[in-house]
Amino acid sequence: MALFDFFLLEAIINGILFGGVLALLALGLNLVFGVVDVIWIAYAELVMSGMYIIYTLHITWGWPLLLAAPMAIVGVGLMGLVVHRLIIAPILDTPPINQLLATGGLLFFLQNFATLIFGADFRNIGLSLPILQIFELYISFSRLLSFGAAVLGMIGLYLFLSRTYIGTAIRAVAQDREIMSLMGVNTKKVYLITSALAGAMAGLAAILLVLQQDVHPFIGFSFGPITFMICVMGGLGNLIGGFFAAFIISQIISIGSFYGSTELSYVIAFVLFIIVMFIRPQGIFKRNT
Amino acid sequence: MNNLSKQFFRLGSVTLLGALLAVTPFTTFAAKEIRIGIIYDLTGPLAGAGSVPASIGTQIAIDMVNEKGGVLGKYKIVPIKGDAQSKPDVAINEAERLINLEKVDILAGIYSSAQAVPLSGKLNAMKKFFWINVAISSAVFKNKNLRYVFRAQVHSDQFGQTSLDFLAEYAQKKLGMKPSDIRVAIIHEDGPYGSGVASSNKIGALSYGMKIVHEEGYSLTTPDLSSMVIKLKRARPDVILHTGYNPDITLFLRQAKELGLRFKVLIGHGAGYGQIDKLVEAFGTDVDYIFNVDPVAAQLLDAKTLKPGIGDLTKEMVRRYKKITGAKEVPPHTSMGFNHTWVLLNNVIPVAIQKYGGFDSESLRKAALDLDIPVGGTIQGYGIKFARPGHKMAGQNLRASPVVMQYVGGKTYIAYPTALQNIDPVLPLPASSPYAAR
Repeated sequence: MALFDFFLLEAIINGILFGGVLALLALGLNLVFGVVDVIWIAYAELVMSGMYIIYTLHITWGWPLLLAAPMAIVGVGLMGLVVHRLIIAPILDTPPINQLLATGGLLFFLQNFATLIFGADFRNIGLSLPILQIFELYISFSRLLSFGAAVLGMIGLYLFLSRTYIGTAIRAVAQDREIMSLMGVNTKKVYLITSALAGAMAGLAAILLVLQQDVHPFIGFSFGPITFMICVMGGLGNLIGGFFAAFIISQIISIGSFYGSTELSYVIAFVLFIIVMFIRPQGIFKRNT
Repeated sequence: MNNLSKQFFRLGSVTLLGALLAVTPFTTFAAKEIRIGIIYDLTGPLAGAGSVPASIGTQIAIDMVNEKGGVLGKYKIVPIKGDAQSKPDVAINEAERLINLEKVDILAGIYSSAQAVPLSGKLNAMKKFFWINVAISSAVFKNKNLRYVFRAQVHSDQFGQTSLDFLAEYAQKKLGMKPSDIRVAIIHEDGPYGSGVASSNKIGALSYGMKIVHEEGYSLTTPDLSSMVIKLKRARPDVILHTGYNPDITLFLRQAKELGLRFKVLIGHGAGYGQIDKLVEAFGTDVDYIFNVDPVAAQLLDAKTLKPGIGDLTKEMVRRYKKITGAKEVPPHTSMGFNHTWVLLNNVIPVAIQKYGGFDSESLRKAALDLDIPVGGTIQGYGIKFARPGHKMAGQNLRASPVVMQYVGGKTYIAYPTALQNIDPVLPLPASSPYAAR
């Protein structure tokens, strides 16, 4: 096998596009951790909920997809708000293990609730987006869309956090929630807004995933662990760190799989993760929102 | 004995008599019940890949027997359900719950080979009668000399070999190639099911001198298969042999289309490939001309080739399944769940009771070994004769055989073996297919 070939280029490009999906997933999870200091173990299940919202509105109720898709952002945004208000807020000042267990419980609740309502069947919106072909190089438009959305999401979030009043408040609370409380900032309101924003990011991820994956109650098994790993590797709570870690992991998986096998690539990714945790337990990038 | 003592004595006697009267009917009633633990994956990724249709098939068989008064007209079947949640550890816990708490007499069901392999060893050691309906891995039985585990279902070595036999048969006729010129890629989920079928695919391909240009396993929950697809593009196989569940199958088909993978023939091996309704929902006509190796969906067989009355049984199963689910097509897994449970209830348990005196594990084992159903005697066409202790596949039905089916226009046809064929198989993929080699 040649060291570099045309197919390798295709694998690298696909790795970058896959990284876009992962980066988008990592953004919301990191945002919540960075500000509220809570890990939403059930984050991928919120994405799953968004996918079901789109499926129900579009396929069952017959809404146009362009109308159904934004409702996932609104719906999961509201879910984020409710999750914080009902589950996180009452135990925010208790040991972190309680929050972890509570969101873990939410994970099983959402999985089983979806099974109860929709059954265990695999569902699909049956939409096939065009494929970009450049000579023998094929690029999936749905993945290109995810990549673009991830980049725009990152820029949008950055602008929101750096240029708006509430964004500045969020960053301030992320840096020191106790001091900000003493200075009269309503941290509860900031937490609520942050949770809704993270939910909305999950809704956006749902729109892009529903174009690429089947909708089923257990899709979190495919994306949950890897998203969490990316967030930890990039430095939990560090948006930029998570963004870049997503592309590092996706390239390891893509190139590792290209030269070895799909199974081997995940072994390499997890071994690298363990090594990073030994060398830099705080993640590759210093935690800083 | 004074008055007070007499009163106590009377009260005690009445209470004891009352208790005896109360208990006696239950005792008699309990003796007329056969408790069967039924384990399937009712939730988790495997539920939608055929496990739920199989569980419905099993329930239909139980309902039909109970509607006639139960086994031998007097032993009601009480199914106690367990959900393995698509996880082997949960399957083992559920089996323990059903045996130790629910006190089931028999354990049956099981969709996933990853569950069947550990469970079979464990239950055999416990001397508990275990009747596998769906899981196919040959590793369940191979060289294990199990005594209390039985499977009427086809095993994975047959799946893998059948697809190659089919290819060899049609290589020259349809592809214009000698079998030894065919370039084969083998891809599979990496559990016992996928690995087992892939291993027999490999043996079969090599036996015909075919070139294996790519072979790869992956986790069924993998979120991305694009690199594997790109490697397949580079390897340029004529034929792809795929074994997977779901959602990996739909992920593969989607990414194969997006990345421009082309081939002449795609042969799936059961599980997710058996769910034609789901495949059509996701891909529409793109799944036309894909092949699937599986035990036959009973409704596809010509009833005239089967024992009298068997065709009516199939019709009733299909009618009930469609009524329960509202589905248009009945997947092969429903036939597996129904057929094998039907045989257990009508051909094994009655013999155990009448000939061997009960439905304990030993009697059931002897009755299963006595079973001798000729070809054409079950709704899926094959007969049943279990390999006896000492055989390298002891407990496996030696008369089971899969067929090769082809999907055309959202319908399923039998493409192989030629004796059962109701379509002249279409290969290579016609130009209308987005996967067709150009």
